Amino acid sequence: MRKRVVVTGLGAVAPNGLGAEAFWEACLEGRSGIAPIEGFDATGFPVRIAGEVRGFKPVDWVPSRKALKIMGNNIRFGVAASQMAAEHAGLKEEPPDPARYGVVMGSGIVPTDLEEIGDAVLASLDEQGRFSTRRFGETGQKMLFPLWLLKHLPNMVAAHISIIQNAQGPNNTIVTACSAATQAIGEAFRIVQRGDADVVLTGGSDSRVDPLSLVAYSLLGAVSVSDRPPETVSRPFDRDRDGFVLGEGAACLVLESEEHARARGATIHAEVAGYGSAFDAYAVTQPEPEGWGASRAIEAALRDAEVSTEDVDYISAHGTSTLLNDRMETVAVKRVFDRGTRVPPLSSIKSMIGHLIGSAGAMEALVSVLAIRDGRVPPTINLENPDAECDLDYVPNEARELNVRTVVSNSFGFGGQNAVLVIREYNP
Amino acid sequence: LTQRRVVVTGLGAISPLGEGAEHNWQQMLRGASGIRLIDRLDVSTMEVRIAGEVVPLPEVEEDGLFPRLGIHSRFALVAGREAWRDAGLLDEPPEPTRAGVYLGAGKGIVEVWRIADALKAAKAGGDFDYPAFLRRAAETMDPSRREQERYYQAGTHLARAVGAQGPCWVCITACAAGNHAIGEAAAAIRHGDADVVLAGGTHSQIDLMSLAGYATLGALSTRNDEPHRASRPFDRKRDGFILGEGSAVLVLEELEHARQRGAHIRAEVVGYGNSADAYRSTDPHPEGVGAELAMRSALRSAGLEPGAIDYINAHGTSTSQNDAMETAAIKRIFGPRGEAPPVSSTKSMVGHLIAAAGALEALACVRALEEGILPPTVNYENPDPACDLDYVPNEPREARTVYAMNNSFGFGGQNIVTILRRYAD
Repeated sequence: MRKRVVVTGLGAVAPNGLGAEAFWEACLEGRSGIAPIEGFDATGFPVRIAGEVRGFKPVDWVPSRKALKIMGNNIRFGVAASQMAAEHAGLKEEPPDPARYGVVMGSGIVPTDLEEIGDAVLASLDEQGRFSTRRFGETGQKMLFPLWLLKHLPNMVAAHISIIQNAQGPNNTIVTACSAATQAIGEAFRIVQRGDADVVLTGGSDSRVDPLSLVAYSLLGAVSVSDRPPETVSRPFDRDRDGFVLGEGAACLVLESEEHARARGATIHAEVAGYGSAFDAYAVTQPEPEGWGASRAIEAALRDAEVSTEDVDYISAHGTSTLLNDRMETVAVKRVFDRGTRVPPLSSIKSMIGHLIGSAGAMEALVSVLAIRDGRVPPTINLENPDAECDLDYVPNEARELNVRTVVSNSFGFGGQNAVLVIREYNP
Repeated sequence: LTQRRVVVTGLGAISPLGEGAEHNWQQMLRGASGIRLIDRLDVSTMEVRIAGEVVPLPEVEEDGLFPRLGIHSRFALVAGREAWRDAGLLDEPPEPTRAGVYLGAGKGIVEVWRIADALKAAKAGGDFDYPAFLRRAAETMDPSRREQERYYQAGTHLARAVGAQGPCWVCITACAAGNHAIGEAAAAIRHGDADVVLAGGTHSQIDLMSLAGYATLGALSTRNDEPHRASRPFDRKRDGFILGEGSAVLVLEELEHARQRGAHIRAEVVGYGNSADAYRSTDPHPEGVGAELAMRSALRSAGLEPGAIDYINAHGTSTSQNDAMETAAIKRIFGPRGEAPPVSSTKSMVGHLIAAAGALEALACVRALEEGILPPTVNYENPDPACDLDYVPNEPREARTVYAMNNSFGFGGQNIVTILRRYAD
């Protein structure tokens, strides 16, 4: 017997707001978190803007100073979002049975701290200025931070959260690029559904606003090099978009079995009703242009939720602001929904926060829950001149009042992984 | 509604013992060791100079998909294709949308020297000059190579290679990842998300930064003068694990799907437990509370009492902490020597394949169930009072085996346990 799975807590660390409510409010107001990079000096580089998290104090969220030392930014964001979500769900006052309390997070790469490894690498250069493995052994490696490795193990996001929350149940970190967080939430949903845990903290955290990622993404031609004002560069579905903007941050949801939530009298914000995933099996760095993998993932999620296309009120788009994605997503959505009925409105919050890669799907799932709670959907900002091939209702520029009962949340990965959630209004 | 059952219908492996699932199994029964002096890098000045390298590295035909693959992707393609072939799926491919890939993967090779030039430019004037770094890095970086080192690449390459369009899932739960992928793949098949899944792990971490990083944590053996004898799980004179590399992949399949196509069924996946120590990010829980919880969850999910288990393939890393902790946790569930089933660690022969370790160990469990032979723990010479179970020392052993338990405990405190059953109709 599959259990019903509900959402009882939310937390977010976003470029346009700290805390789930501040982030949500910013999204409804159409406020962008994209600005010139402050984390390091990017003067003269073609890409100089990003969605950075500002005003964030890790010490407010991480109880142990010692642990803080081995947490990179992505881990700090994830820990903070999970703390907020656990608190919001009332799990701090009444902690679940530790063995029945899990953590499943989506994540990305752990950026290399250049200043940290810089001296070690420079000390390993030979007379010709070339890296010498011998010298690395003799002198370079001794200049590394002794716990260097621990700081860079990507599974540490879920590990640190489990330690702080004393969550000893199922634990996982998933890294499938842009769909990682949606896959993580999908897996958390399955874990609660099949009864392996009562409560799971799930979502994603990522931070790629670092020099190496910036160089790599700009060489790959995926990020925008536009000279527009920063807050107008991310413009999904707009004719004049020219690539995505890197963002950073985390979002966390508390998923709980319906019976567990009701027994403790928790406030239920929404229900996770379905999950589907599919792989393009196409090219390495491009979505398959016809969006067949994307539409199969949407259909699988709807089937899993036993929801028909007519019941869907809103789609939280992947909408990266790249030509390929936005057209592919439009085609895929039309294929699934445009069968003599109507295509529901869809919007992309990436227009306001950029692309958070490993945590993107979590930010969008959180927004889906709040759209259901408040009956409002966030806009796609900067949508001034729609691309002729993107001809759906993208909720341009202004938030909209809408009776939202069922949401489809899309995530389509860089490498071809597609993952989709169906979230709906909770009715006992 | 009857519960969907999950069986193993194909095996593939590449490890320090060589290429091929059957070759690996035969080498394990011989008690062979794949641990040698590191050949790929100049490690003469490093504290740790031994590892389980795959020699030679496989040259994979790439189907024109991408010119240069990371080593972990090559390993996964070799093992995954072998498993696919072994299951007979080359000749009769499954419905693409019902086939998936679940892989455990880990941190790729960290090639710091590739950014040495940019770092030099950045530090030329003393303080770290970011604009100078960005300029030089943009001139010297090969972004596609960097892209290929990403954790998830092996999974996507393998899915493309076999045309699997169902779920493509990659986890990175360190030393537990390979076993984790098998547990989650089985759960996905049971739920109905797919009918056939390539499940396993792949990893290569034999690089300077990782060797230095693990050595600084005191986790690696420094028995450089006796590579073959360095990995000695449960032995009193063990002094750390040895980094290995490779991949093992299993074909997991829904029972009816396998029956209908007349597949050779090798074993059944019947139990899966997943837990976290929630203790420290630097150490496993000293009493193995999380390990015990995962073993108990796996038993419960299989509907088994501890007495049903005939063999445990241990995590058995050859570190002082793990082996004592694992022994204590096993004893709390299964009782002392005599009551507890035999336990062995195949890491004694291949070293620690990190994200691939649990998958290769699952493969050993499948073969042990099929053949009724337990692989040994080699280099077991000096009993440790803290490790007092039957570790199948040095020689393989014939034993009728119906249920095998596979333990994997990750750095960071993630514990994964799966239970496999000898297949009978």
